[in-house]
Amino acid sequence: MKNNVKIARVQMDMTQAQLAEQTGVTRQTISLIEKGKYNPTLKLCLAICDAVHKSLDELFWIDKEERTDDTKNK
Amino acid sequence: MIQKINDERLKRKNLENTRILFIVQTAGIIGILGYELVTKGMDEMTGNPLWFLLILTGIVSAYLSMSISVDHESDEKSPKKGLLISLAASSVIAIGFGAAVTLTADLNTGILVGAIVFICFIVPYFYLYYLRRKQED
Repeated sequence: MKNNVKIARVQMDMTQAQLAEQTGVTRQTISLIEKGKYNPTLKLCLAICDAVHKSLDELFWIDKEERTDDTKNK
Repeated sequence: MIQKINDERLKRKNLENTRILFIVQTAGIIGILGYELVTKGMDEMTGNPLWFLLILTGIVSAYLSMSISVDHESDEKSPKKGLLISLAASSVIAIGFGAAVTLTADLNTGILVGAIVFICFIVPYFYLYYLRRKQED
């Protein structure tokens, strides 16, 4: 699913490795989340939100129409 | 040095890999037992420890599936009513088995077989009852 993790991470001037270290996962997992190829658990979502100082809404909320388009494209 | 995996994605992947390993192992066990059945006969096959392992895995799998089945039940069944019906049905089946054995063997053997059949039936029913009660909470 689409998300704004990459934008928030770049805004914080962090690398994928740094975000991964802070959230306790591997860099590959962060990469897959940013590409929208892996849906993290709520626990990991919150850890990412803490690391980049953003709310859950700002990082992961997607409008209903966009969500439907995303599902159709898969 | 082996590090503990904390990454949720990798943990999930590990579980998926374990599932594949389980399929391969089960297929192997069935293959070996099938070969024994064909070459040495039924008695040799059931004497193999792998047969015991297969049965044990089947029982554990059935018990684990029960919790999924209970969660999947669409209508809310009364746990007590279900248990009582199951107990009545188990009693009838156990008495039937016991009576059938008594006809060919002595009464003691009949009672023993009936009791074993009864216990074998009520254990899963009590487990189902426990799961349904837990679901109600």
